[in-house]
Amino acid sequence: MNETPNYTAAFEELQMLVAEIEEGEISVDELSDKVKRAALLIKICRNKLTATEGDINKVLKELEASDDINDVLS
Amino acid sequence: MPEKTNDKTIYSLLEVTKSIQKTLSERYASAFWVKAEMNKLNHYPLSGHCYPDLIEKKNGKIIAEIRSTLWKDDYVRINNLFLKVLKEPLKNGISILLSAKIMYDPVYGISLRILEIDPSFTMGELEREKQATIEMLKQEGIYHSNRSLKISLLPKKIAIISVGTSKGYLDFMKIIEGNEFGYKFFHMLFPALLQGEKAVESITAQLQRINQVKEHFDVVAIVRGGGGETGLTCYNHYRLAREIALFSIPVITGIGHSTNETVAEMIAFKNAITPTDLADFLIQKFNQFSLPVLKCQNLVADKARQVLKEEKLKLYNNVRYFRSVTGSILIKNNAEIKGRQNSLLQSSAFLIRKEREIQKSFLTRLTKTVSLFFCDIKATIKLSKTKLSDRTINFIHIENVKVNHLEKNVRMMNPENVLKRGYSINIANGKAVKSILQIKDGELLTIITADGKVVSKINIINQEET
Repeated sequence: MNETPNYTAAFEELQMLVAEIEEGEISVDELSDKVKRAALLIKICRNKLTATEGDINKVLKELEASDDINDVLS
Repeated sequence: MPEKTNDKTIYSLLEVTKSIQKTLSERYASAFWVKAEMNKLNHYPLSGHCYPDLIEKKNGKIIAEIRSTLWKDDYVRINNLFLKVLKEPLKNGISILLSAKIMYDPVYGISLRILEIDPSFTMGELEREKQATIEMLKQEGIYHSNRSLKISLLPKKIAIISVGTSKGYLDFMKIIEGNEFGYKFFHMLFPALLQGEKAVESITAQLQRINQVKEHFDVVAIVRGGGGETGLTCYNHYRLAREIALFSIPVITGIGHSTNETVAEMIAFKNAITPTDLADFLIQKFNQFSLPVLKCQNLVADKARQVLKEEKLKLYNNVRYFRSVTGSILIKNNAEIKGRQNSLLQSSAFLIRKEREIQKSFLTRLTKTVSLFFCDIKATIKLSKTKLSDRTINFIHIENVKVNHLEKNVRMMNPENVLKRGYSINIANGKAVKSILQIKDGELLTIITADGKVVSKINIINQEET
């Protein structure tokens, strides 16, 4: 999975992973990979909490566009 | 006075209006209570007077209308009463029970002069309107619509309907922007009037704008605060409530008051009493997401550590077991080697001893054989020696005899002896003369005798006849 999952997906995957680890059905061979993956997901989740997404200008532009249409229609 | 022209009595307008005024004031001498809807308050801030439009509607149609006046002093008194009892000022579009007198002015015409407005009636009316709104929403089946939406796991993109300078907005932003956890939100202000009669229109319009860009937002927050407790009936308005109920993303409210919940708040996805509480609700959502993440992190770390620890222990035990097993194998093998070494030593010593004995016996046998052999040889040699000496002696004796004989012969043969006996040796030309043929006449002949030589010259040669 190269694409950064959104937080819902990341969170769900993380919970699945944790459940798996919790079950104790994990071998040392897998452990490193799983822990790495979990760390990545945690990082993604953390980043989602502290990063701002979205662009005010983009929203404004779209609003302007739709306002224009409304002006023309009314 | 009226003019009289031909058959007509003509009044001036003032006369007519004065007459009306007189009649009306006589007919409607006392004040009376009227139930009406105040369509427009028409308050003039400069004079402080109000000229409310009073109407009565039936099936949405105006069936009666009259102007009224509310003088400044009455307005201030009644308005204060309303604010106290209803938490609402006098405003457009409310039902009122008013005490009024009919007034007629020649210039301004007929109107009701409002003396008193009963706030409790309006309150009942407002409450009734609120209940009607709730009832309608329920009938349409949309009362729970907004509340049954699913809020994003992380509601971080917020469309805020508020007033940029209001205390409520600032309180809200303070928490959203400066939260201790460092959570970041994307937010955008959609400014709107938040109280009073124009609020319905204003908020509805902004909701519609947000709707056009709703994919950019997780939640709409209606934030008000610092505006006191008045002017909130707009949130009971059916049109606004419906707009909120049907909004496709969660609408959360923090309108900031302590009295009865408004319909908008009831049907909103989440209502917090103050903007601060509302912001805390969002932060809480983040925490709800963050804590499990943290928990997961700890759990993953713990479990990983535990697995590693277990494996380490397992490995350690295996190593120990291996060590003890190999150790005992070594000891065992060492003992075996030692045993074998000993037995090797013993058996080699035994073999050496045995070989030595064999050698010894061989040697003895060899010595015996050799000495025996030597004895034989010695005997043989002895015998041979005896034989040899016997034979030699014998041989020497014989030879001696022979030699003696020979010696005698030789002695006899010796020319000296012969010469002594009278014989002589004649030598001619260096050679002993054995025949006369060897000599010729005239030649010299040397005659050797036992005691000297005689040289003679040959004269006669007589050949002997035999």
